[in-house]
Amino acid sequence: MSVEMVAVFAGSSIRLAMPLLLSAAGELVSERAGVLNMSVEGMMLMGAFGGAMGSLYTGSPVLGLLIGIVAVIPVAALQAFLSNTLRANQIVTGIGINILVLGATTTAYRAILGSRSRTEIPGLDKWAPPFLGDIPWFGDAVFHQTWLLYAGLVVVAIAAWVMRYTALGLAVHAAGAEPRAVDKSGLSVTRIRYGAVFFTGFMSALAGCFLSIGDIHTFTEGMTNGGGYLALAAVIFGNWKIGRTVLACLFFGAATALQFQLPAMGINVPNALLIMLPYLMALLAVGGLVGRQSAPAYLTQAFVR
Amino acid sequence: MQLADPVEMGTSSNSGTPATAAADVSKLQPLLSLRGMSKRFGSLQALSDVSVEIATGEIHCLLGENGAGKSTLCNLIFGVYKPDDGSMQFGGQDYRPAGPAAALTQGIAMVHQHFSLVPDLSVVDNLLLGQARGILKRAECAQRVRQLSEHYGLALDPFARIRDLSVGERQRVEIVKCLMREPRLLVLDEPTAVLLPAEIEGLLTVCQRVAAQGCGVVLVTHKLAEIKKVAHRVTVLRGGRVVATSNKPANEIDLLVRAMIQRDLAGLDASASAMFGELAEEADAGSAATTEKIDDEIVQINGLTVRDAEGVARLDNFTLIVNRGEIVGIAGVEGNGQSELAAVLSGMLTASDGRFFVASKNMTNRSPQEITATGVGVVPEDRHAVACVTGMSLAENLFLNRLDDFRHWGLLDRTALRDKARALMQEFDVRAAGPDIAFSSLSGGNQQKAVLGRELTTQGLVFLLAAQPTRGLDVGAVEAVYGQIRKACERGVGVLLISSELDELISIADRIVVLYRGRIMGHCVAHASERERIGAMMAGHVE
Repeated sequence: MSVEMVAVFAGSSIRLAMPLLLSAAGELVSERAGVLNMSVEGMMLMGAFGGAMGSLYTGSPVLGLLIGIVAVIPVAALQAFLSNTLRANQIVTGIGINILVLGATTTAYRAILGSRSRTEIPGLDKWAPPFLGDIPWFGDAVFHQTWLLYAGLVVVAIAAWVMRYTALGLAVHAAGAEPRAVDKSGLSVTRIRYGAVFFTGFMSALAGCFLSIGDIHTFTEGMTNGGGYLALAAVIFGNWKIGRTVLACLFFGAATALQFQLPAMGINVPNALLIMLPYLMALLAVGGLVGRQSAPAYLTQAFVR
Repeated sequence: MQLADPVEMGTSSNSGTPATAAADVSKLQPLLSLRGMSKRFGSLQALSDVSVEIATGEIHCLLGENGAGKSTLCNLIFGVYKPDDGSMQFGGQDYRPAGPAAALTQGIAMVHQHFSLVPDLSVVDNLLLGQARGILKRAECAQRVRQLSEHYGLALDPFARIRDLSVGERQRVEIVKCLMREPRLLVLDEPTAVLLPAEIEGLLTVCQRVAAQGCGVVLVTHKLAEIKKVAHRVTVLRGGRVVATSNKPANEIDLLVRAMIQRDLAGLDASASAMFGELAEEADAGSAATTEKIDDEIVQINGLTVRDAEGVARLDNFTLIVNRGEIVGIAGVEGNGQSELAAVLSGMLTASDGRFFVASKNMTNRSPQEITATGVGVVPEDRHAVACVTGMSLAENLFLNRLDDFRHWGLLDRTALRDKARALMQEFDVRAAGPDIAFSSLSGGNQQKAVLGRELTTQGLVFLLAAQPTRGLDVGAVEAVYGQIRKACERGVGVLLISSELDELISIADRIVVLYRGRIMGHCVAHASERERIGAMMAGHVE
């Protein structure tokens, strides 16, 4: 395997891991607060659709990104309302939302652009950090990425810092570990959880936009293709810790990149198996390799005073 | 001492009150006055027309049986509930808290019966929760904890994780949490129920120091020894009403008890009077005489060991024999392996090592159904989670383990079920409107009597496992529960009784085994003279 191929593999692993990382970081915060958003998938898809349409009609991918974020707000609001105010089963409502969003975006997309359109959509600019992008052999392949990737890393880092060192992070952590304690301390569990779900929505919107206007500059029906579920798996694999979740996302990204890499290396594997690979990895990781789990104690349990 | 007529409450001039005590209390500034407070939950009148006054620097004890309305009163003060009627004045101002947050800002702090700590977080993080804004200043907070620890004698490591702390230490965290707000009134809802004897001493000292600083202290308790030691004034509640107050409680203990249960102590069963620590010594003289039993073992436990997911032994090499007609008490602070022992013996937890035999049959790791079939009755620790289905009727719950007996052409014969239920209710004194009433509407005492009734009528009963059977019950129910257990014992049933109430164990058990961190610390005869030895073993001191 040549240096170039390694560089391409590394670059595409990072690129494919990024949407997972964004949505997994958002989901991690929400799960820490005690809400399981199965609707990450739907939120990502809505973000991807909103971003794509916004970018197409305004001609500005940055405005598209904003529109993508705005488009996810109602989805996140619905999830937050169902799971916190109505205290509905979070898994059922999440899956319901995913189906709803898949139907809504598909219908809207066909109504707007026709069923088999491959319209090119203006995408976000690429950028490479100074010096790193100039490294011979692999600088370009690894570091020349959509600026959203770097912005996303900064957002994830800030989120991790807030969770660790601020009162807000402490409250979020406690809302999933012992909500009654949060309530008795005078904070509102409901508000914290609403906020956490909206944060997941925001991160998932970034993830969706990364797919549609960051990575491939087009929208296709159901383009998240289970990415939201992989993000959920990454949180479990990461044992609800941000560092391990990042590694899990990179691992899944690499597994996806392998789909393209193996044929390029002349290794003949049935295509169906390759497409299955990241999901298979996720299944194995979540099912067997992780050992002990330490999920937040009140994950998926609605808070009743 | 004033008996009855709560309307006259708060007027300190009473001919029956010793002049010195009255002067003592009236010197203090009134801090919180409650007037005519009432609170109703559905059909239950939890409080009616309660008036109480708490002064600065006073330790005011609220005494009463379970369900007397003590906790409701505390929760009204702390703003958890809103009163239906009545008014409160705090520091001379009208006080109507919209919620706990409002109470806290006014300077009222409360230590709840159930702790509200986040087990995953450190002491400091728990203290900062809801208090801090922006970036957490953990070092600063730890410094403050150390100061308070030193000042009040509450030893605490600020960076320890809550899950690694003992119950007593957790309570200290709760108290420090309150004290950090520099409250003017501290409310403690049954704080000593979960503590070791030595820890209780420590807690009472803290209360005295807090009161000496000019803070008012409301202390809810069952235990008369505590009242005798620290209370300045006592208010007795019964059935949601103030039935007595005392300005000199230490001298009026008997009267207070009578007011609380409306009966003379002499008429009470010995086990019930053991609730009041000081009386235990007289009470257990009778049970000590019954230690001689026929040597006829019914349960044999050999080296039973339970490990948790992390491989830590929660129950370590537990070996014990229980004979027919014998009550063996398991003493220890909660969380020292009692729950695991009960769960393994009832088939709900797998033993990692060791075996146990019931009537010479190896029942290790058998299903609860098989264990019941050999004649084992189980009164589980967690009544709501394990012992009953709260959504179903009383009759259904009474026969939950043998509903098949009421099959008639494949259908449930409800008439027979009701009739049998009525008989059982009578036998075990389960007070309810009827057999069809929802189990959840019964009081804790009646629920427990029902569970006990079901288990004691198990077919071919040879062994009864009772885990914390009197937890949360009032004196009358405790009496009934122990009366039934004794009766079964006389029938030749072997009883393993797990309880954290040492005085109760001493009065009812024949032998006591002390558990500490999953190991047996020692055996002894259940006698009041062993009390201190047992207390030391409960704290992990080897003799």
